[in-house]
Amino acid sequence: MRLKRIFSMAWENMKQRRLRAFLTTLGVFIGITAIIALASLGEGFRTSITEQMEQGFELDVLTVIPGSLFAGYRRERFTDINVADIRQVSNISVATGVMQIGNVTLYEGDKKVTAFVATAVNFSEFQEVFHDRLRFETGGIPEEIGNSSLVIGYKVNHPNETETTFANSDDEVIMTVSVPMIKPPYIKLENRTFTVAGTLQKTGAAGLTNFDYWVLIPLDTAREIYGNVTDLIFVKVSNSEFSEAVAQEIEALFPPYQITVLVPITLIQQVDFILGMVEIFLASIASISLLVAGIGIMNIMTVSVMERTREIGILKAIGAKNRTVLAMFLAEAALIGLVGSLTGVPAGYGAAYLLSYVLSRFVTPQQNRIVGTPEVERATVTPIFSWSWVIVAVIFGVVICILFGLYPARKAARLNPVEALRYE
Amino acid sequence: MGFILDTNDVKKTYRLGEVLVPALRGVTFKAKEGEFLAIFGPSGSGKSTLLHVVGGLDRPDEGKVFVDGKDLLELSDSELAEVRLRKIGFVFQFFNLLPRLSALRNVELPLTLAEISEKESVRKAEEMLKLVGLQKRIEHRPSELSGGEQQRVAIARALVNDPKIVLADEPTGNLDTATGQEIVKLMKHLNKEKGQTFVVVTHDPTIAENADRILYLRDGLIEGGDVLVDTEPPDVPREEMDRNKTCVACGRKILQLHTFCPYCFAYQGKTELPEEG
Repeated sequence: MRLKRIFSMAWENMKQRRLRAFLTTLGVFIGITAIIALASLGEGFRTSITEQMEQGFELDVLTVIPGSLFAGYRRERFTDINVADIRQVSNISVATGVMQIGNVTLYEGDKKVTAFVATAVNFSEFQEVFHDRLRFETGGIPEEIGNSSLVIGYKVNHPNETETTFANSDDEVIMTVSVPMIKPPYIKLENRTFTVAGTLQKTGAAGLTNFDYWVLIPLDTAREIYGNVTDLIFVKVSNSEFSEAVAQEIEALFPPYQITVLVPITLIQQVDFILGMVEIFLASIASISLLVAGIGIMNIMTVSVMERTREIGILKAIGAKNRTVLAMFLAEAALIGLVGSLTGVPAGYGAAYLLSYVLSRFVTPQQNRIVGTPEVERATVTPIFSWSWVIVAVIFGVVICILFGLYPARKAARLNPVEALRYE
Repeated sequence: MGFILDTNDVKKTYRLGEVLVPALRGVTFKAKEGEFLAIFGPSGSGKSTLLHVVGGLDRPDEGKVFVDGKDLLELSDSELAEVRLRKIGFVFQFFNLLPRLSALRNVELPLTLAEISEKESVRKAEEMLKLVGLQKRIEHRPSELSGGEQQRVAIARALVNDPKIVLADEPTGNLDTATGQEIVKLMKHLNKEKGQTFVVVTHDPTIAENADRILYLRDGLIEGGDVLVDTEPPDVPREEMDRNKTCVACGRKILQLHTFCPYCFAYQGKTELPEEG
């Protein structure tokens, strides 16, 4: 019997039992809706996160930190020789070492603020590396290196997020730093006077560093107090494509597990990979509902085969082959799967957009004030339409239905015609 | 002369729980092409089983069944289905139409199974329904048709694929006498018109009276009637066989050739046919 006729007969049969066909199809519909909704939201989530990361990270800036994040080995700080060695690596445009001093307090008259980190930098090199991010509200980069100028980050300058600022360019401020000593009390507080060269605009957390909570001071000034040490080395590669190669070369300069090179592209790829797994995981959870739908189909079809035993007997008596009977029942299962999937796909996207609207309308993300996550008005995750998910969902829906229809269909095909005819 | 249907010592035993029920205990009979053969027997004599075996719906435990020269026992399930589709038409006591399909679709079904195009199969099915006198009721479903009309649809369905043999299992068993007679007439008419072989199992005397030949089945054995022993057709003239006699048990008028009374199933003793001159 021709396939077209088999399908048209199966369709007629389903029309005869509308309610039953509707309910079995509903199961598949819900399963596919759930899969598509979760997958498209997952993909939207992944895309928005990677996009944000790509915007935030300077893709061409590698950060070299002492010690190994993976082996837990803590290395001494870097020396100038290390920095010089790194500068020799090919495809590097700039490499600059910085020193970080924790918990400094600034005074301007009777105003007082605490900065998260004071970072001592070589301003000209630092500007070359972070050219795009160093945007000033007032003032600019200190012209002479080695003087006592400083640059204040946005959150330090606007402690309460208001328009009132702590200081403006050309103001004089006093910085209190704690200096380690060999003898007790081991720490000495020292006051230094700086001139504010500039105040930074808000940058937010971009990649691994957040200038908002920083105060930038000249490296030479810091070295007068702390000596010639370097905490971090920022390396700008001439093209972000070389990131991995440059990172490997830098790692090769040191004994194993002594340093870690943070490569933004690799981080983004890893995050992307993890979120991709999460997306698949979400879709798999949704697939469980499709399995439940499949069992529903098996159940209904088994009942249907019993009800139609006599009909099957008649069909066989007038010459239907086993495989024709099998095909007739499988065609019904496939049609249920097809109708359920094809209606479930648009419903899934509809549900995803609805969910994303509800999320953006009623849920405000919690902001982490310490790390300084970028401030977003509302959470926005736009579901992403993808043909590959549509195709996968439809095929999956149909295949599940056929698989679960196989048992009852085989049961029907193998009925003994004489016994089937006698069935009341 | 070849036989369209030839069975040889067919045995079939059913199992009902623990009990073995012998339905056929060695049935041998032949059918000539184009004849109207009635197999006559009381209920439980194995009539239906015989028809199922001959029609390729069931396989015998022992013996041979040849349909149009093909040994059914050597065929696979799907080849048997092919034989049922193209060589055999079934007519049942309970009509066995698909309840949700119209008369036309029911008749069309064998053509659809035979992969004939929809246009052609609709044309053929309409023609067939016209032949059985139902041209005005083709869109009706079985539930909207009378018993006689349903049986006409069933006959149309059995004949639509131009089978060599039509097997009918108590075709009048579920109809009133008048309708039953109409159906018998219709079958007889089609038998003459289209030249197909009809094998009808029944205990309806009307059919027996219209048959070309009658066989008697009792307890799974052919116990008499017009058994074709050789490949030669019987030399007994039809008129002789049609002569009347009186049933030994109930006294009703029956035909000379009846081994069993069609009314009371009493055994009539050895059939004595007049000697040839």
